[in-house]
Amino acid sequence: MNHIEVESSHLDVLLVEDSPGDVRLTKEVFRDTNIDIHLHVAWDGVEAMAFLRREGKHVNAPRPDLILLDLNLPKMDGRVVLANIKADANLKSIPTVILTTSESEVDIVKSYRLQANCYLSKPVQLEAFENLVKSINDFWLTKVKLPQQRQGG
Amino acid sequence: MCKRRLFSDVAQLHIGIMPLERIQNLGYDPGNASAKVAEAPNSADEALRHSEEKYRMLLDEIQDYAIFMLDPQGVVASWNAGAERIKGYKADEIVGHNFSVFFRSEDIKRGMPEELLRITATNGRHEFQGMRVRKDGSRFLASIIFIALRDRAGNLRGFSEISRDLSESKESAAKYRGLLEAAPDAMVVVNQSGEIVLLNVQAEKQFGYRRDELIGQKVKNIIPQGFAERLIADGTRTAAEALAQQIGTGIELTGRRKNGSEFPIEIMLSPLESPEGILVTAAIRDITTRKKTDAHVLELNRSNEELSQFAYVASHDLQEPLRMVASFTELLARRYKGKLDSDADEFIGFAVDGARRMQRLIQDLLAYSRVATRGNDLVHTSSEAALRRALMNLRGAIEESGALVTHDPLPTAMADERQLIQVFQNLIGNAIKYQNPGVPRIHISAARNADKKWTFSVQDNGLGIEPQYFEKIFVIFQRLHKRDEFSGTGIGLAICKRIVERHGGTISVESQLGHGSTFTFDLAGTEGKS
Repeated sequence: MNHIEVESSHLDVLLVEDSPGDVRLTKEVFRDTNIDIHLHVAWDGVEAMAFLRREGKHVNAPRPDLILLDLNLPKMDGRVVLANIKADANLKSIPTVILTTSESEVDIVKSYRLQANCYLSKPVQLEAFENLVKSINDFWLTKVKLPQQRQGG
Repeated sequence: MCKRRLFSDVAQLHIGIMPLERIQNLGYDPGNASAKVAEAPNSADEALRHSEEKYRMLLDEIQDYAIFMLDPQGVVASWNAGAERIKGYKADEIVGHNFSVFFRSEDIKRGMPEELLRITATNGRHEFQGMRVRKDGSRFLASIIFIALRDRAGNLRGFSEISRDLSESKESAAKYRGLLEAAPDAMVVVNQSGEIVLLNVQAEKQFGYRRDELIGQKVKNIIPQGFAERLIADGTRTAAEALAQQIGTGIELTGRRKNGSEFPIEIMLSPLESPEGILVTAAIRDITTRKKTDAHVLELNRSNEELSQFAYVASHDLQEPLRMVASFTELLARRYKGKLDSDADEFIGFAVDGARRMQRLIQDLLAYSRVATRGNDLVHTSSEAALRRALMNLRGAIEESGALVTHDPLPTAMADERQLIQVFQNLIGNAIKYQNPGVPRIHISAARNADKKWTFSVQDNGLGIEPQYFEKIFVIFQRLHKRDEFSGTGIGLAICKRIVERHGGTISVESQLGHGSTFTFDLAGTEGKS
């Protein structure tokens, strides 16, 4: 039994983000963009790893089709989360998109070194953010072909 | 230096004293001498004795030099008037005593008197400067020549010492001292042993000593480190080379006053060749004030840096909560417009507008602070290419307004290209924006000014500016128009000003209300036009 083998009509996205405003905003914009997206939220890095590894209360968590990862997170930093994901044979094929307010060159370079699939900065204007979410949806959730996902646990 | 003359006199005297084997007859040992004379009672010897006596009388009468003989053990055997005057002993008080009484106790402890005799015996002659002690215990710096006296068979018969009190070197030292006193800085003259030979009144004041407390003392007492070491020859360099390496450069060291307090100094060294060896004149400047100023400038730079960092961080961090305010008021407006009452619509409208304006202000503030924090190096840049790029960025506004933008050939200048593009873009953008009805005409040109910089002009036929605002328009967030007339935060010209100033230039405007404006700014040029 799992969520993938059925021709599931929806996509699962894991949003790792500690700001409730950002979480809500992202939910709102995704809802307006693609009704078929299930947005799951991990509020810090530790929870993100628990979700991905189906530990604790996340034992029934779906394997996400896309991870949206903020860099500055409580408990476990987003950069560490990224490194853990890319070091995990089970998880590394999940596209991981950095979505952060940081425009620092250091963060950008570091993220790509850690094999982030792409790095996006959150735009300041609502409209620009909406366009960005549309782009994520169009590209990562619609156009990109991903390898056959392995059955998890 | 006149000083040179001092010891050429001595050298002549020295020649006059020869032949050495006769000199002992001038000495104290009357038994030995008279025996010799008695052994040779012929007329030739008589003549010789006569001439020797003349020499002796001559030597006795010399006042400026102490000239006396020592036996091989250093016991004083003869004494002249100069010796008496300089050292303060009468002949009968000193003849028969060991010459070590002329030395400082610390030198005696070090075995210097014996060492001197040993060196002289080995080399035949030894010349040096050193501190001597008078009968009354006072000290003086002397220039001294020791000569070993040997008989025909080569047996050491004794020594002669010819010395001079350097502190009283008359004409030369006086002249040089006059020069030193005229110098604005503290001046200290030091010999190769690191002892102070001469100093001026400024040096007395600066270090808090009286002159006689410093003459003959080690310069280390007033400049503990870094000076004496620089004068010393070592295995790889001679004294002259050691000195040559230091000449003409300001060396920052620490000076120590008599009361023990220390202060920063800068010293400039120059060599002074003299027959006594190379002396070093050090001009010593108290740089306490300069150091304080330097520290202030450093502190000012640091606080400037901090401030610009602060502006950047503050505006960057302000963006975050503001993004929430702006995004959710917009969502609110979008979803609930017309669903609440008209008051609610109006309130939401103000909130959305306020949040948007604040976002623009913060972005502009960030852009302004980035001029300094994110600037690139100034390199040879084609200003014409920068202009083309600016026009490309403005093509929407240009097409919309139908503006006619023309330019002369423009030179290569030293610039951060990205910032130069921004200056052109802001100035031309303004020229298009602040327009009369009609076709905006804008012309860009450049001319070499008197400072060999390039002065760029952006001339328009727009609204123009009243003279009282010529300066104000460059101040951040200063606007001349109401928001509903022209949009914008008032950052564009402030950024231009900051960029131009970062390039070492200035920006200004000439304008007549209703007849257009000409903005000019200058950039350091490179040769020729691009």
